[in-house]
Amino acid sequence: MTVAAGASGGSRRRRRFNPDRDVEEWHGKYLPYDLVKEFLIALVVVSVLVAGLAVIFSSPDDKPVTVKSWSTSDAVDFAQTAITELDGTSAIATYGPPYNTAGTAQSIGPFSPNHWLGVHHPIDTANDYVIAPLRTLPDQPQLQAAVTSYTSASPDQQAKWTTAYEKAVADATFDRGALKIPRGPYGPVGPMISSLTSMARSGALDGALLSSRQFYSTDYTKPLLFIADGTYLANLAQGQHLSGSQWGMMNETGSYPGQAWLWLYTLWYQVPPMKTSSNADLQVWGIMMVLTLLLALVPFIPGLRSIPRWTRIYRLIWRQHYRDISAKAVTGKGPTAAPPPSPVSSTA
Amino acid sequence: MQMLGAVKDSLVGSLINLTGPGKYVHWGFIQISVANLVVIGLMVIVFFAAILIPFRRHGGRGR
Repeated sequence: MTVAAGASGGSRRRRRFNPDRDVEEWHGKYLPYDLVKEFLIALVVVSVLVAGLAVIFSSPDDKPVTVKSWSTSDAVDFAQTAITELDGTSAIATYGPPYNTAGTAQSIGPFSPNHWLGVHHPIDTANDYVIAPLRTLPDQPQLQAAVTSYTSASPDQQAKWTTAYEKAVADATFDRGALKIPRGPYGPVGPMISSLTSMARSGALDGALLSSRQFYSTDYTKPLLFIADGTYLANLAQGQHLSGSQWGMMNETGSYPGQAWLWLYTLWYQVPPMKTSSNADLQVWGIMMVLTLLLALVPFIPGLRSIPRWTRIYRLIWRQHYRDISAKAVTGKGPTAAPPPSPVSSTA
Repeated sequence: MQMLGAVKDSLVGSLINLTGPGKYVHWGFIQISVANLVVIGLMVIVFFAAILIPFRRHGGRGR
């Protein structure tokens, strides 16, 4: 069987009928269908469902994790993280674009969008997370002298102080509202991190990290990245089954469900080579983009577009129609030559 | 007065409190929360219902 498919130079070219691509003209009867009515019914049903479920289940109301709550719950972890921000060894300090140039951007071969876009959200962890917030504290001349001493020292001297502090803070404790750090040759770094910890516990550091030129600050990037550098947030996530290494993680909150569609996205992080790759984010994004493209282009992909015809689920949906056709064929009152409704539409 | 407050709380607050640690199903390497499993189950039910529930019959008003 052949069908007309397009005109070229006034002459119509005919090609072989393809049931996955072509449809025959419907010669049967037509029935009226009120789409507006259907839309309104669907809108009312969904609205009632949403309002009803909201009354019954409400919504999650977990308190946000802030720098204040982090440093109050685990001051030692905060101090251990703060020193890595100051000496530039934290995960964010060595991440690379879009925050700095200290690390290599994620890439798949030559494809490296982060590298192409460059550093468009600069974060200097030493200055942004430690030095600049400490500079905002008033009436603390000794602290300001310590900060000046640190900033005016040579890089070698700074490295000696921060290395000494990193060793000492590994054995730190927190007692009666103050960090207890073993003595060591860490110079001004000791009072700086202690003051920063006190500042964080008071909530002032949250405000300092959120300062922006806008009246309402909506950019939480800096405090979020700072918190993510510590182990406190990771432990919370692990405890709530929200770790990236957990198969089936769907951003659920307690007993509330999460985003069901997220399972496929998080699945790839558990599969080699993404499981151990430093480019996992980009690789998983690439896989999902390819799958999304395949889904969008199903009508154009031979084989894939034939699956509805092979599985014949459409015959289950329109089973009454096919029963009518069979009955009419038996009684000799065959239907018009029109084919049944099919899920495969014409793309020619 | 106390009763009025309780009624108000139950109207404003949720009737079923889901706040608190979730329950999880472990099956080999798969670990999924019961809440997510219920939602996925409901979606599967709706999918099959959409296939199996018959269309309303028209009264032959075709043209």
